[in-house]
Amino acid sequence: MQGNVACAEGALAAGCSFFGGYPITPSTEVAEHMAQRLPRKGGTFIQMEDEIASIAAVIGAAWTGARAMTATSGPGFSLMMENIGFAVMTETPCVIVNIQRGGPSTGQPTMSAQADMMQCRFGSHGDYSIIALSPASVQEMYELTAAAFNLADRFRVPVFLMADEIIGHMRERIEIPDSVPKVERKLLKQGVLPFHPDDDLVPGFPQFGKGYGVHVTGLTHDERGYPCATNPRVHEQLVRRLVEKVEGKRHEIADYRVTNPDAELVFITYGSPARTVEQVVHDNPGKEIGHLRFRTVWPFSENALREFPNARAFLVPEQNLGQMAREIERHTSVPVIRLPRFGGALHTPGELVAALEGLK
Amino acid sequence: MKLSIDEKRCKGCNLCTMVCPYRIFRPGKTPNERGIVIPVLDRPERCPNARLQPLYGRTLCGMCQMICPDQAISWVEEKPGEKKKVAIEF
Amino acid sequence: MTFTDWLRADRLPHIYCAGCGNGTVINCTLNAVDQMGWKKEETVFVSGIGCSSRAPGYIVTDSLHTTHGRALAFATGIKMANPALNIVVFTGDGDLAAIGGNHFIHACRRNIDLTVVCMNNMIYGMTGGQGSPTTPPGALSTTTPYGSEEPAFDLCELAAAAGANYAARWTSYHVKELTHAVLAGLRTPGFSFIEALVQCPTNYGRRNKFRQPLDQVEYFKTHGMLVEKVRRLHEEGREIPPDTIVLGELARRNRPAMGVKR
Repeated sequence: MQGNVACAEGALAAGCSFFGGYPITPSTEVAEHMAQRLPRKGGTFIQMEDEIASIAAVIGAAWTGARAMTATSGPGFSLMMENIGFAVMTETPCVIVNIQRGGPSTGQPTMSAQADMMQCRFGSHGDYSIIALSPASVQEMYELTAAAFNLADRFRVPVFLMADEIIGHMRERIEIPDSVPKVERKLLKQGVLPFHPDDDLVPGFPQFGKGYGVHVTGLTHDERGYPCATNPRVHEQLVRRLVEKVEGKRHEIADYRVTNPDAELVFITYGSPARTVEQVVHDNPGKEIGHLRFRTVWPFSENALREFPNARAFLVPEQNLGQMAREIERHTSVPVIRLPRFGGALHTPGELVAALEGLK
Repeated sequence: MKLSIDEKRCKGCNLCTMVCPYRIFRPGKTPNERGIVIPVLDRPERCPNARLQPLYGRTLCGMCQMICPDQAISWVEEKPGEKKKVAIEF
Repeated sequence: MTFTDWLRADRLPHIYCAGCGNGTVINCTLNAVDQMGWKKEETVFVSGIGCSSRAPGYIVTDSLHTTHGRALAFATGIKMANPALNIVVFTGDGDLAAIGGNHFIHACRRNIDLTVVCMNNMIYGMTGGQGSPTTPPGALSTTTPYGSEEPAFDLCELAAAAGANYAARWTSYHVKELTHAVLAGLRTPGFSFIEALVQCPTNYGRRNKFRQPLDQVEYFKTHGMLVEKVRRLHEEGREIPPDTIVLGELARRNRPAMGVKR
């Protein structure tokens, strides 16, 4: 099965009932597969006029209680930024798949990259926090897409599936489980103000059409949902809560895989470069090469770095100039070595071994 | 029923003075404590809706209420003890 | 029940300037919605950004106040995900015709079962009176200090050409007619577009020789002409004054629509 198709299948398994999309290489297969499968399952597929409209329709659908998603790539992702900020501000659960390609601008439509990692975290204006997952295999495209819906519904944030073109277009044999775990969206209790947070800082969801009579606005709003855009205290409280509800749970959300925790030299990866590192670890069994692979990229959990107490250097192969390496540097005193390789070609095992040799 | 202007909502645009077929609304002259010149009512008991709404069970005319951009015009129930002045016109 | 029951009384008075026509259009729209007998929990108001788009915040139903120009795209998502909801979109001329122009023509083309009420004040009111795509040629605004040099959009013609099932134009003076037009729009399956010309005394009127709100409403009253009369004059080969505002039902058809309640 192809990665993009697995992504669509994972979404369907998680109960996704709305897909708003726009064709863009290399994510188009997600939309194509959804167009084929969703109507038969009673869901709605709609091809919108652009990516701005796609994410807008997804947010609208999410407010009717649907599990909604869209898929895109670089240029489309840039267009979505404003409404992603809207989804954050209004606490709309939705899933955005980004099959990353080479940028900036039109760049390399058919080649792989991981250069949107910072954009997905910081791309919209204002302070906020989101959740981003990064699959490294077709199996994970399926699993993590399904998991993304649960995270979105639990935290009421947009959740990103930051895959890359290699994973999206790769074909692998996968195992499809009978069912995937499902976390139900917590509805608003009667008598509670629509934006009054519970103890987990996430308010109950006042679904449209249920008589809540909620006003949802992208303006700074108080707990009633009414605009209150000139009160500094209300704004600070709201933005702090929006960030804290995700960042405060970062160790709980964290999802990573550790290989050889006693190693001195450790590769840190996410997405397709993980596959080259796995090959290097496999080919050099005697050398004790560590490998930390993030499946959840944002929010960044610094606890993952502590899994390697003997680490002498962290090597970070990425398909960009070192976006996550910069984040890792922030959290550790161990030297971080950037191994950028982009333009569409993946690191070869030889290159990574050479980088290891250089440190001995 | 009695025609009334909600002084908290009215912003003094005088649109009601334009549409009332009975010319009940007249531009005011003195600003209230919010600094807004609220229209004054000239013999509001002439308003057909005030007199006949209970009889017909629906809003009659209602132009002033519809055009009022500030939702300030309404008809309120009169208190039982209140005196009524009836002007008969020939 | 009357239309006043649909207002959030705790939020009034609203933020509109004295004499702004938007409040009138809210009254007319709510009156029409009230006459439809819809339940509050089945009705959703959607809007974008601008003066007009603050309207849903004053209405008791579920409402979504979205990003600039995208109201129709959000409304499309809501309607397609749950066709049982009745959706009314409030938008303005800048919101709908400038930044949201693409969404507008595509919503018309899809003929989604929405009712769009566009409060056209011919200017960007909330940002302080800049020229918009519907600013008439020659009109003054802060970005057209020597008079607008660009031709203006005719929004109803645009909607009709793009495939909307219903298009009508009235002004904030014609409250009864506007209410009937909105009601007709709500009853029409498919995309219904109602353009309501509104006065903006603060930013448009003040710069364009309408010193009082009443002056611009008086202008609407004296310069409006029913579309039937315009057509008749045209057929008879008689002259139609150049600043005539064509009012009435400009399109009504029965193209297949999307998202109609089953």
